Amino acid sequence: MTPLIEARDVELSFGETPALRGASLAAEAGEVLAVMGASGSGKSTLLHCLAGILVPDAGEVLFEGRRIDNLDENRRSALRRDSFGFVFQFGQLVPELTAEENIALPLLLSGVRRSAALADARPWFARLGLDGLERRRSGELSGGQAQRVALARGLVTRPRVLFADEPTGALDSLTGEQVMALMVAAARDQGTTVVLVTHEPRVAAYADREAIVRDGRARSLSTGYAPGGPAAERVAS
Amino acid sequence: MSVPLTLLGLLEREPSHGYDLKRDYDTFFGRGKPLPYGQVYATLGRLARDGKVVPGEAEPGDGPERKRYVITEAGVTEFEHWLAEPVAPEPTLQSVLFTKVVLALLLGRDAEAYLDTQRAAHLQRMRELTELRRTGPLVDALLADHGLFHLEADLRWIDLTTARLDALAAEVRA
Amino acid sequence: MIAFALRLAVSGGRQAVVRLLTVAAAAAVGVGLLLSTLAAVNAVGATNERMLWANSGAKSRTETADVDPLWWRDNSPEFYDGKRLLFIEVAATGPTSPVPPGLAKLPSAGEYYASPALAELIRERPADQLAYRFPGRLTGEIGDAALASPDSLVLVVGQDPAALAARPGAHRITAIATELPADCRSDCPATGTRGDAMTLILSVVAGALLFPVVIFIGTATRLSAATREQRYAAMRLVGATPRQITVIAAAESTLAAVAGTVLGFGLFLALRPLVATVPFTGERFFVEDLTVTAPQALAVLLGVPLAAAVAARLALRRVTVSPLGVSRRATPKPPTAWRVAPLLAGLAELAWFVGRRPATTNGQTAAYLTGFLVIMLGLVVAGPWLTMAAARAVAARTSRPATLIAVRRLADDPKAGFRSVAGLILALFVTTATVAIIGTIDHNRGVLAGDPQTRVAVEHGALAGEPPMAAAVPERVLAEVRAVPGFQGLAVVHANPDGLARDPSVPADWAVPVLALCSDLAQVPVVGHCAPGAEVAAVEPYGFLSLESQQSTEWPTAPITAEAAARLPVQSLYVTTDGSPAAMERVRALLSRSFPEQHARMVGDWGSAQQQMLAGWRQLADVVLLTTLPIAGCSLAVSVMAGLSDRRRPFAMLRLTGAPLGLLRRVIALESALPLLVVAAIATGTGFGAAAMFLKSQMDYDLVPPGAVYFGLVLLGLAVSLGIIASTLPLLRRITGPEAARNG
Repeated sequence: MTPLIEARDVELSFGETPALRGASLAAEAGEVLAVMGASGSGKSTLLHCLAGILVPDAGEVLFEGRRIDNLDENRRSALRRDSFGFVFQFGQLVPELTAEENIALPLLLSGVRRSAALADARPWFARLGLDGLERRRSGELSGGQAQRVALARGLVTRPRVLFADEPTGALDSLTGEQVMALMVAAARDQGTTVVLVTHEPRVAAYADREAIVRDGRARSLSTGYAPGGPAAERVAS
Repeated sequence: MSVPLTLLGLLEREPSHGYDLKRDYDTFFGRGKPLPYGQVYATLGRLARDGKVVPGEAEPGDGPERKRYVITEAGVTEFEHWLAEPVAPEPTLQSVLFTKVVLALLLGRDAEAYLDTQRAAHLQRMRELTELRRTGPLVDALLADHGLFHLEADLRWIDLTTARLDALAAEVRA
Repeated sequence: MIAFALRLAVSGGRQAVVRLLTVAAAAAVGVGLLLSTLAAVNAVGATNERMLWANSGAKSRTETADVDPLWWRDNSPEFYDGKRLLFIEVAATGPTSPVPPGLAKLPSAGEYYASPALAELIRERPADQLAYRFPGRLTGEIGDAALASPDSLVLVVGQDPAALAARPGAHRITAIATELPADCRSDCPATGTRGDAMTLILSVVAGALLFPVVIFIGTATRLSAATREQRYAAMRLVGATPRQITVIAAAESTLAAVAGTVLGFGLFLALRPLVATVPFTGERFFVEDLTVTAPQALAVLLGVPLAAAVAARLALRRVTVSPLGVSRRATPKPPTAWRVAPLLAGLAELAWFVGRRPATTNGQTAAYLTGFLVIMLGLVVAGPWLTMAAARAVAARTSRPATLIAVRRLADDPKAGFRSVAGLILALFVTTATVAIIGTIDHNRGVLAGDPQTRVAVEHGALAGEPPMAAAVPERVLAEVRAVPGFQGLAVVHANPDGLARDPSVPADWAVPVLALCSDLAQVPVVGHCAPGAEVAAVEPYGFLSLESQQSTEWPTAPITAEAAARLPVQSLYVTTDGSPAAMERVRALLSRSFPEQHARMVGDWGSAQQQMLAGWRQLADVVLLTTLPIAGCSLAVSVMAGLSDRRRPFAMLRLTGAPLGLLRRVIALESALPLLVVAAIATGTGFGAAAMFLKSQMDYDLVPPGAVYFGLVLLGLAVSLGIIASTLPLLRRITGPEAARNG
């Protein structure tokens, strides 16, 4: 089975500093993959390469079997807009917009009419326990609420892949667990693949499988992973 | 887990039959490891011998041992003493893991591969516990959390050791 | 503490240095403009002082001294090439006769002294155009002490005492005037520029110039406020008191402002020659007149750094309150509709005076200038509300994400959005109003002139109601006039002592028509023509050299024969030319020399004083626009950049999620362009409205839309601003790169 998204021997340097030295990583469709590693190991850089934000110096990045690292900036932007979603640590919401407008923003970017985009955004408030916060600005939301709004924004376009970079990094552990549970559940609901960068084992434990990045190289640590099968089934059996 | 003291605690609540004690123990503390009847009665016997519980009269009924056990003053004192005493922090896992790592390094084996395998095993267990805490009732979730935090602590140690494996090897082989 | 603050200020890295330099530059520009304006006000006063001597012949003067009297005759009004020429004739009766300032001694009979500008003209222009007009020969130059401007045309002619005493308008004086005569209605050639009105106008100008500078300083102080707030909050956290933080913040801005103020004085000195050429009063200033008094200089020197310290205190007051800094963004209180009130009040004031023009000049000045001031203030006050109203209207219905983000930000904090364009708005208002007013006045004058032929005519002689110029004009004079290159036609205008064909209902002397032979009138068709078969026409007393002259006018026939009329005394001569200055000045010189008691008149001379003033104001408006534009542009750029760095994370995030860079560019462009365009439309609209009401009220003119140059200038201003906005866009790509979205 072809992986949905894959990095092959990716190398990338920032100036003189090598960040990735031949990292390979693949995620299957529907899988939740955790990418772990210490600070500065290159895990965020690898995520940026997979998402087409950074272009590797060498190696290939494939999405649905096609190379995306050699596309131009506009094509990669369109790809990110249409097929990828993002959740980062903090500061992602546009402060001027209300919560529902922030969620609807990716749809507006794709040219959806405002009323339709807002209609698509609204169900997320119930799904993520954000009822009544539709008109709040980011400054009026708690950290966990803001992160859930960001999560809804990452998923509202039903992306093939959701890239999450330390999505709970700024949250306390209870709130972080809530956000992770909601993220994994929502992603599984709509069959979105999740590439999750984290250094916390408890966050990584939400994934089906993990890879570890060390010194710019990625290594898969899969133990008995069955593609497409949520971990719950294996526990139950 | 101290079974005698747990049973004492359950009796502190109200006088109970051995059967009730087993059921309550399994509900709250027996996670996948039910207490055999034999152990219940053996323990109760020992407690009675030490004067910490008193068996009541056998009640009429079908089954064997329809006795209601009552906790004594000595039993209450011991239980309360135990409850108030902090548990000694035990670095239990460290000994096994640490021994394996040091031995691997001494024998020139791949300690890093061992740590990675251990790490994967830990994470696999964490995944299972995470699923449990997600789907089970709050009691299960709290238990799972307890396990997760312990495993996480181990993983931190594994990460740290992995990062300093070279230094450790140099020191061990010196 | 202060030493520590200063060390912090200069060691704060590149950003701090940029901020210090920006504040210093803004302060320098502000001080330079402030000093220039003060100096201009002082120079108007100095100019008036310098010219007082010319009023020495006023009848109402009472100063006397025990000296040989001086015969004094003011030969005004004289002009050369549309410029006012001050023409004084003097005759000393003894060695102690008073000498006007600027002269080493009185010119003796047959000599004259001229101002440097006039002396140069006399030397450069052909003698028959100018030098021929003046009796005697040029023997010296008049010093600057007697001149209002290096361009002033002044002439002091020495005469024989007996001859001068015999001429009308000659006075015996014993002292040169050193203050304005008590009664200056008719015989003061140099009343000067009214100081009050000038001060008021310059206040408006200073306001229009300084306002953008103040805004710029404020914007620069707020630049990178976030990082500074962090730094101050950290200091508060480790125990610095609010007072210490205030000292540190104020010291930093004050240091920059002090440096800027010193630079500003240098800037003023450097700008002085340039400022001197701006014709505030219609003529340029002597550079030496552009000075500030010691108290003024001291006030600026202390006031500007003080103002900067206060501004820093205000801009950073939040930080001194909380050690936690300001992290959360709450929606500021929206401006209310009341902000439109001052603008409407200003417009209402001008509207009220339509049809109710105050009788006195001072009343008019008070009425109109306060109206304009209130409107300018009103524009600044109303701007945020208008910005918000426009933004809200757009936000309610847009589906475009760029528009949505941009207008939301504007609706959230319209004051910030408007602040950056406020300077431009004032410049646009001032320019629009000035251009509209001047353009309309010009246009109406042009329409009245009817026939451009009136502008090529020279009339020389007595006005209606005055005694005739001469019994007859020597044939030699007429021949000389006809021989002037460019000569076209000549009519001899005869007096009408018997009052032929007069209107009996108006018995006054000045209403008696003058007589012209039909053969003469035919040579100057612009004045009108005779009835068929008539010999002599009775022309209205002011029918020659009237802006209303037109060829189709048929004058009534005077009951007198041509021969009899030709024998009547001559009231004036009317000569038409090809319109070239050379031809017209030659005719004027010839006639002035032949009939020195009379004055030549040209249409161009009449308007000249007022025209020069208007041209001066137009230039002033240009100066305002040109000075304000770059400053306002800088404010605009700085605030666009501040808005950018405030939001680098969300913007970087948007870019990651696939928003094209173009979208972010549109956000930034819209955020600055929307307030610019909305309020520019309102400012120009208000400018036209205010100008229309002023013109209707003061002159009963209807507004004439200005020409392409004005619209070109406005479009250029807007284009430059948009260009400045565009110049900040490359920054966007840099600061929203992937590294800005990195965690931590």
